[in-house]
Amino acid sequence: MKRVRWEYLVLGVLLLYPLLPWEWAALLGSDLRTIFIFGILALGLNVVVGYSGLLQLGIAAFFGIGAYATGILTVPQFPFQIGFWPAVIAATLIAGVAGVVLAAPTLRLRGDYLAIVTLGFGEVVKFAIKNLESITAGTKSLNPVPPPGLLGLPVNWENYRAFYYLALGFLVLVAVLLRNLENSRLGRAWMAIREDELAATCMGTNAAKVKLSAFALGAALAGLAGSLYATALGNTGGPDSYTFNRSITVLCFLIIGGMGSINGALLGTFVLMGYDNILTPRLDKWVQDAGSQFRFTDVKLVVFGLALILMMRFRPEGILPSRRIAMELHEEKP
Amino acid sequence: MLTLMAAADTQGGFAIFLQQIINGITTGSLFALIAVGYTMVYGIIELINFAHGDLFMLGSFLALTLVGWLGLAVAPVFGLAAGLVLVLVLSMTFCAALNVAVDRLVYRPLRSAPKLTPLVSAIGVSFVFMGIGQLWKGVADINFPDLLPNRNLLGSEALRFTFKDLMVCLVTVPLMAGLTVFVKFTRTGKAMRATAQNPTAARLMGIDVDRVIGVTFAIGGSLAGAAAVVYGLHINTVSFQMGYQNGLYAFTAAVLGGIGNLPGAVLGGIVIGLIRSLGSQYVGEKWTSALVFAILIILLVFRPSGLLGARTREKV
Amino acid sequence: MKALVFGMLSAALGLLPGAAGAVAPPPQEGGTIKVVSSLPRTGSAKAQTDTIVNGIVMALDEAGRKVGNFKIEYEDLDDATATAGQWTQEKEAANADQAIKDADVMVYIGTYNSGAAKISIPKLNRANLLMISPANTWPGLTKPGKGDPGEPDIYRPTGKINYTRVVPADDIQGPLGAEWAKKMGVKRVFILDDREVYGKGIADLFRARAEEIDLKVLGQEGIDAQAQEFKPLMTKIKALEPDLIYFGGTTQTKAGQVAKDMIAVGLKAKIMVPDGCFEDAFITSAGAENLNGRAFITFGGLPPEKLKGKGAAFVAAYIAKYGKKPEAYAAYGYEAGNVALEAIRRAGKKDRDAIRTAALGIRNFEGALGKWSFDKNGDTTLRTMSGNTVKDGKFEFVEVLGED
Repeated sequence: MKRVRWEYLVLGVLLLYPLLPWEWAALLGSDLRTIFIFGILALGLNVVVGYSGLLQLGIAAFFGIGAYATGILTVPQFPFQIGFWPAVIAATLIAGVAGVVLAAPTLRLRGDYLAIVTLGFGEVVKFAIKNLESITAGTKSLNPVPPPGLLGLPVNWENYRAFYYLALGFLVLVAVLLRNLENSRLGRAWMAIREDELAATCMGTNAAKVKLSAFALGAALAGLAGSLYATALGNTGGPDSYTFNRSITVLCFLIIGGMGSINGALLGTFVLMGYDNILTPRLDKWVQDAGSQFRFTDVKLVVFGLALILMMRFRPEGILPSRRIAMELHEEKP
Repeated sequence: MLTLMAAADTQGGFAIFLQQIINGITTGSLFALIAVGYTMVYGIIELINFAHGDLFMLGSFLALTLVGWLGLAVAPVFGLAAGLVLVLVLSMTFCAALNVAVDRLVYRPLRSAPKLTPLVSAIGVSFVFMGIGQLWKGVADINFPDLLPNRNLLGSEALRFTFKDLMVCLVTVPLMAGLTVFVKFTRTGKAMRATAQNPTAARLMGIDVDRVIGVTFAIGGSLAGAAAVVYGLHINTVSFQMGYQNGLYAFTAAVLGGIGNLPGAVLGGIVIGLIRSLGSQYVGEKWTSALVFAILIILLVFRPSGLLGARTREKV
Repeated sequence: MKALVFGMLSAALGLLPGAAGAVAPPPQEGGTIKVVSSLPRTGSAKAQTDTIVNGIVMALDEAGRKVGNFKIEYEDLDDATATAGQWTQEKEAANADQAIKDADVMVYIGTYNSGAAKISIPKLNRANLLMISPANTWPGLTKPGKGDPGEPDIYRPTGKINYTRVVPADDIQGPLGAEWAKKMGVKRVFILDDREVYGKGIADLFRARAEEIDLKVLGQEGIDAQAQEFKPLMTKIKALEPDLIYFGGTTQTKAGQVAKDMIAVGLKAKIMVPDGCFEDAFITSAGAENLNGRAFITFGGLPPEKLKGKGAAFVAAYIAKYGKKPEAYAAYGYEAGNVALEAIRRAGKKDRDAIRTAALGIRNFEGALGKWSFDKNGDTTLRTMSGNTVKDGKFEFVEVLGED
């Protein structure tokens, strides 16, 4: 066998990781947990932008809808309190429906106009979360979102490991689902309208339906990620966790990693979030202990921006691109 | 309009309604100045230049630094006027040069790439600019010295049109008029319009497309530089985040007016200014921003080409 | 063999509570105890939190970084991000998690913002970790019936109290602000808030008292702290002709711009703000000329120059060490640091629960803020408040508010 399946190797390492007993491993482990959750979010966006080529600039809105749906359904202030498992399913569905509601009237818009509508939608959702104080508690965030129950087992959620496996489990589930979809009829239809909508329509693809399904699935996965995020955080995170900035950051995960490819999206998430959440705080602590005032956090934006620019200039298809997109980008130079 | 006026009568009278119109138009013209930069670049290379708002932010930081160096806070009237003109010119030059440099270094090599590639580069440039702003002046809000008198120029106390508001008009109106003349009547202006319509055909007709694009970036940048100075003098607060917030509004203004359309950008800017001021008066302060974006979505669904944009099919 | 492997696995994974309990080291004499603080260290609150951190460091240094046989270490955590410009839920939650996981951490000093405390109290409560806030003033964090329904019990999943504060809460500050306004001759007041836990909370408390004492409340509105300017809002308020605008919020939620835009629309009213704006950054961001003689700031204690005894000694030592006057909350950081040391001293062992219990038992503590005790909710018994104004671009003490 010539090709090593790296993804299985990585998965194996991640499965064994929590066996490390040291304290630093625990701290790193809870960072990894967050990265898994954002990996799901990136995969959701990948369905819309990567597979179907629809520029979606408001994915954070669906992430937020998932988080707040979970919050509303589980926190003690409301009468529902249905617990994690029903809530995570409900949040996924609610976000998916929200995706359909947004997409249905706007799908006839093309290219950048669609991007702008999604951007506007993201802002409206952020302000709605902020302003509908009786439902969302405004800027205060819904708190506390209870940890999941697991078949009545007395799981200790304070320890990062339980949630680590939960998030990893969901991530693997989503990745497998998408890998199967990629090669299905629907997956091929997504890519067909990305490559050439006109030609795809002529070949009998119902473009509106195909786009709608991409939008809905992307939104639903974002909702799932939001639900996990709120549960991991123990609160819904407040309206400012669901801004345009977050949407753009997740888009950058895809672009750095490789648009349209599952492994690429996950690698991008790992590289950028790893830099942001794992590397810079540790570097900062290290130089601070050495007595320096310099903080890597302060130059984060510049580094991030330069990485994007250089990437677009020299490897626009990302680190681990989907084969088809790489071909397209290196097709011909006029 | 009639219903709005009726609402105005019930909630505090016509004077307040007029006052909010003045408020809306002044801030709206600021948005318009920035929006022009978005709309011109989009019109020519179909790029949503995400970094434009942050360019505006850097311009205002430069203006703040220059105001400090020149000691304008304590300068006599004549010195102040001359100093401000100097600050305006320098800030416009700086933003124009920076915008052109970014185009040369970042966007030009990507001209033939798919649309998403330069868009992402623009996001990258935006991050770099924001990071520079953060390193330059820190992350807190900074007071921009109050250099202009806040005197009311109208007789009655019920309605205010201050010297500061007048200054906004004195900068905005001539710039917009000049730009319109430039685009309509000069050779370069014609070349710009030709390039916007069809870059390939324009190139075949002997137009130096790269130069035209450079000029476009220069004009957009210089207007952002002008907006930066006016903003500082009018709002009196600058921060490294202001580019993002105002850029988003300005961009919305450009889309609202019909992206690629110059008068549309101005109209869009003023409409957004009015939505904000009237929304604050009659709907509630906290809903004003949501209102802007909600109207944007509704408008795009029903009239995707914007208020003044022509109904065109996107180039396939 | 199978059972052994399973046992090792589940112990290593710590999935079951029994296994997790076994991880905590047995109490021992000597060793390292860590004190962490979680404050907004990025953004305009930095000047204020710098002095709080300096206060904590001074308290620990004075004790020689030692209590008994324990070496005291300190780590300064940031709960703010540059993009937000102030604290965020995510950072605060991450800080709390980090503190819980570090078995050496025995005391968590923080937070600065009441909203942030809502996030970390329940997390730290489950870990029995003592929390001392130098600056949270939302009453609901400690006082039953004074905050939202369910508070403060929702923050105490174990039923025990782990949260204390050395600053008096807003159920005192808000109403005293209204009374002070009335004393100044104010008749008509418009109330603004930033819609955050602290800002909205104190604005509501101000409003309730203002209505009781027959100040005319013309209206209340929440602002968007990310908005760039408030001229339309101020135009609307101007038409109502208030004598005073009360802004419940902080410097980080645009207090400076509110003050500025009042002037810009020609509104001649006074402005009153709570302690969240009692920092030089407020004057810098608003522009001194916009505040001189017309801004009034209430504060849940005395400004540094009015402190007596140990407090005065602290301020003198601070100036000697750092070369400048401390901000208002420095003394509270110092006090929080000393309370942490006292709790460790009383407990005498490296055990989170013992230190927590010891802290709540502190009575008649002679500190920089005077002589005070923790009451049954973990609140300080101090009630002294001060009213301050801005003169020549500097804060100036006006009077002590309320009795005691």
